[in-house]
Amino acid sequence: MTPSTIIIGYSLLFLLLLSIALFFFIISRRVVLDHQQKIFTRRYHKIEKDILEAIAQLKPEFSIQLARRHRYFPAVLTKVLIDYGNLISGEGKEQLKIIFDAALKTRCLKSLTSRWTVKRLKNARLFVAFFNPADSHYLLRLLQDKPLIRLATITALSQTRSSETLSFLFQAFESDQGYPVRSYFNMMFGLGGRVEPYARDYLRKPLSPEKIALLIELVGAIPLRSLYEDILLYASHENKEVRIRVARALGRLLVPDSIKTLASMARDEAWEVRAQAMKSLGKLGTLEALDILSDSLFSPFWHVRLNAASALAKLGEPGIGKLREIASQTKDRYAAEMSTMILDEIIQPQELG
Amino acid sequence: MGGFFHSVFALVSLIILIYFLLINAFYLLFTVLSLFGIFRYRQLTTFVNFREVFRLPLVKPISIIAPAHNEENTIVESVKALLSLEYPLFEVVVVNDGSSDQTLEKLMMFFQLQKTRRVFRKAVETKPIKGIYVSSLDSRLIVVDKVNGKKADALNAGLNVSKYPLFCAVDSDSLLEKDALLKIVRPFLEDPEKTVAAGGIIRLSNGCLVESGHVVRIKMPASFLARFQIIEYLRAFLGGRIGLSMLKSLLVISGAFGLFRKDIVLQCGGYRAGTVGEDMDLIVRMRKFLHEKKIPFRICFIPDPICWTEAPESMRLLSRQRNRWHRGLIETLLHNRRLFLNPRYGSTGLLAMPFYAVFEMLGPLVELLGYGTFVACLFSKLVNFPFAVMFFFVAIVLGTIHSLMALLLEEYSSHRYPHLKDILIITVFGVMENFLYRQVLSLVRAKAAFDFLAGKKEWGAMRRKGFALGQVNQ
Repeated sequence: MTPSTIIIGYSLLFLLLLSIALFFFIISRRVVLDHQQKIFTRRYHKIEKDILEAIAQLKPEFSIQLARRHRYFPAVLTKVLIDYGNLISGEGKEQLKIIFDAALKTRCLKSLTSRWTVKRLKNARLFVAFFNPADSHYLLRLLQDKPLIRLATITALSQTRSSETLSFLFQAFESDQGYPVRSYFNMMFGLGGRVEPYARDYLRKPLSPEKIALLIELVGAIPLRSLYEDILLYASHENKEVRIRVARALGRLLVPDSIKTLASMARDEAWEVRAQAMKSLGKLGTLEALDILSDSLFSPFWHVRLNAASALAKLGEPGIGKLREIASQTKDRYAAEMSTMILDEIIQPQELG
Repeated sequence: MGGFFHSVFALVSLIILIYFLLINAFYLLFTVLSLFGIFRYRQLTTFVNFREVFRLPLVKPISIIAPAHNEENTIVESVKALLSLEYPLFEVVVVNDGSSDQTLEKLMMFFQLQKTRRVFRKAVETKPIKGIYVSSLDSRLIVVDKVNGKKADALNAGLNVSKYPLFCAVDSDSLLEKDALLKIVRPFLEDPEKTVAAGGIIRLSNGCLVESGHVVRIKMPASFLARFQIIEYLRAFLGGRIGLSMLKSLLVISGAFGLFRKDIVLQCGGYRAGTVGEDMDLIVRMRKFLHEKKIPFRICFIPDPICWTEAPESMRLLSRQRNRWHRGLIETLLHNRRLFLNPRYGSTGLLAMPFYAVFEMLGPLVELLGYGTFVACLFSKLVNFPFAVMFFFVAIVLGTIHSLMALLLEEYSSHRYPHLKDILIITVFGVMENFLYRQVLSLVRAKAAFDFLAGKKEWGAMRRKGFALGQVNQ
């Protein structure tokens, strides 16, 4: 037996034992997990039954007793509270809050400051579901955490029916000077249509142009069509950025009446506003915009011409006809070139070609 | 002379031994990393209800692009499945890439397609488009009929016609799980600035029960070839890709299921037409572009969103498929050779490219060299027989350990094989694949290298049986 044969022999023996151990580990793990799952489900049903009784009785003493009884099974209790926290509101939710406060709150708040992402993540939902304004600094902390935790918090916020969390968020937005305003957009956008009353109130407040622009952007992005009239007030705002956002939001809200406002914005002193107005007119897709768009193709500004030509292409055959007409004229070379470029860029199936 | 041969054989044997140790060390490293990755993913998704993503306005709309070439057997079922996915806002763009069968006619009849006069921006050059149709039953379905230009060209046509900022490339013969989009979009929600692509896991639908375009019962296929491929897919996706993704070195997001940021893909020029490995080629070019522009990015692989696809059950079709994959790999690596060991491209240049070149591209050739050397040594009586036999068994047991590790990863991730019998079958086939199956596939891949050198560009037609509806697809 050479040394190499001995080494390979031992290697074979070791690997063989390892593979057998691995195989039995997989099998036994499966058996243990199935068993654990059964225990979890059984305990879940038991806690669920107690919680339903607490919600039916609406007695705080009963809820506190329940919390004491089940606090030694935090994982199962957390799962039940999260499942029911999103389903129940009103007095029933108050009972869940009592159970949370008595059994899990201390542990939950401690975990929110943990250095382990998983721990913070697991507790973010529970915290938001039973949010108490007194602990608002934890919420702000979560909203400034890693993207993963921010997303979980926003998801939880959007599921939570509490208006306290929303009003807290908007108050923070109004008073916050240091935190980048843009970050609030992601948080508010994540909440969808539920921000509507708050957005309306705050659009009427004397906020900085940056914050007003963000709210207008939000109205367009969600979109909140009921705030259409509110953003029209800003169509002639002195700040160019605000006007740009109004033009963009109108292109997203797609309210047919907005053609009048967009037509006047198409003659704005700032070319950026004009360019955005062209884009929105294209999205509106109305043939009433045909003349405004074809006139704007003769603008001295490249972006205005580009957006006007792209918008004309979006109007279908009439728009394409107009582009062909401008492409063949010789009075304005830049308008003709832009029309030709857009005509070349679009796919026209054989039927149109 | 005898001494010279002896030295040559000894040197070759040493190189093969080092290669063997290195490749197994890498696979073991990937498996261990994958184990951590899956464990972390499981923890991070505890208490996460993916259905909630459905209601989040943050979610970006997705265009699903499904190129189809002669898919008349599966196309209607696949499109029905795509349209029934759970996602707030999406469109399905099917690109009929010059099919010579009834693919378009079946789509037209079943979905009542109407020719549209809408125009689309041509962001990438493609073969001429003959017509664009919209379904009058479901306006989310758009069908592009174009002149045949192969898969990459069809995907580019889909890119031109699609309107949403994220696009999901899928094979029209694959089936996505209902919540697959909700799961795969998560990295784009968590980090929308950095995430440029995400891939999901591909599983084999052979043997499974398919109802309304969705896999409803998972069963082991009767075909031995399909069983071998199940283990291969588990190893490749759960072991390899998660590990590589954790090392920021993932170069492949399967063409059967991947989600991409459209603006980045368009800036890279879309898919490279004419290539047979368009999925890998795109990722490599995206990495190259993003490194050159110094744009921070991440490309993720998620073990959970599942796409089911039908594996070939005949050796002829399997060889054709593997031949194409290997040619695609070689083509991509050679086309992007500038990245190789170039520190400017970070882990892509220093780890991913060398790994794929040395272990994936040259792997089959080295394996065959090993077998050849063994036979030559046998004839020259230079073999230390006890050592050779034990080494052979070590290789088999190591292969089995990799398969068992993949099975363990499967248990930790999506846990789709619920019966103990399935675990036993996978284990037995994990051992059996080391006899003949592996060697034949190495031959096929080695031949692919020669085919590539000979300039073979054929795609190689894949014949599908179609999904068995309401019964087990055997």
